[in-house]
Amino acid sequence: MSPTVLAGRRALVTGGTRGIGRAIALALAAAGAEVTVTWTHTAGDAERMRAELAAGGDRHEVSRCDVASREAVADFFRSRTGDRAFEILVNNAAVTRDGHLMMLSDDAWNDVLATNLTGPFLCLRPALRGMIARGFGRIVNVVSPAGIMGKAGAASYAASKGGMIALTRSLAAEVAGFGITVNALCPGVVDTAMTAGIAKEARDAMTARIPAGRLGRPEEIAHAALFLVLPHAAYITGATLAVDGGLVTA
Amino acid sequence: MTMDRETLKQKLKEILVSGLRLQDTDPASIADDQPIFVEGLGLDSIDALELVVLIEEHFGIAIPDEEVGKSAFASIAALAEYIGAERDRAG
Repeated sequence: MSPTVLAGRRALVTGGTRGIGRAIALALAAAGAEVTVTWTHTAGDAERMRAELAAGGDRHEVSRCDVASREAVADFFRSRTGDRAFEILVNNAAVTRDGHLMMLSDDAWNDVLATNLTGPFLCLRPALRGMIARGFGRIVNVVSPAGIMGKAGAASYAASKGGMIALTRSLAAEVAGFGITVNALCPGVVDTAMTAGIAKEARDAMTARIPAGRLGRPEEIAHAALFLVLPHAAYITGATLAVDGGLVTA
Repeated sequence: MTMDRETLKQKLKEILVSGLRLQDTDPASIADDQPIFVEGLGLDSIDALELVVLIEEHFGIAIPDEEVGKSAFASIAALAEYIGAERDRAG
């Protein structure tokens, strides 16, 4: 991708220090955007990411911000208005606290919804004001096949992602007139630190269900995210783009 | 910058007309107590989002949520009152 296609655009990627978020942030930076990534629990990854982004210039930023915290998000956005407002927002930060619903604690349920669904809401609210002021915005919400198909043992995670798909469609219609697009990006099973921890047998069984016959690579997800935020993608909004090797449609 | 309520109301009418591109409306023809949305000037809730941003840009005053927006956008007079009060509070 040309290093100028997103020149002068400011992008925020939440949960952007590892895995899919990291790949998206690096792709946006490579396309010329000024990238800010946030992290919550991944101090080591944040340091590595800071070095990695710094190698591409000094316009980038790595900042701690728990999107589940109303106060932290308000603090984070307080200084990022006007010229410092974001034109691109990738809501990627997410957590899982799996368990059978009947046995799920209030905390486990609330934590997942707070980060995965309320977190994007808290970030979108201030970010939209800057985008409306500029008449340009690109929002990408990272969701999951679980949000479409459901997933046994992960009802809270699936509900949060299904909620994000509905939020995406609703918001897309609300702000389409302002030059803002809102899309959901739905990665299938991707080869990250999270999936690397899965036992070989389970991993093989998972791979067997994917028509493409392999896991996805973070760079492949990032490529789709980049496509959605390009100025030329102005007429794509409210969509859920699956990048899953055929998993959901199989 | 201080601005009395009358000047503020005139300024708001101009912002409304130019910011929301109401080409056929003369700012002077907008009554102070005329409802801004739907029944009055015929603007809809999407225009309200743009107006929130315009007010923030011009006056540095945030309209944080729907509830505040509803009362502030009741009329030009109400909006001037809200902005004036917020400025006094900040100032």
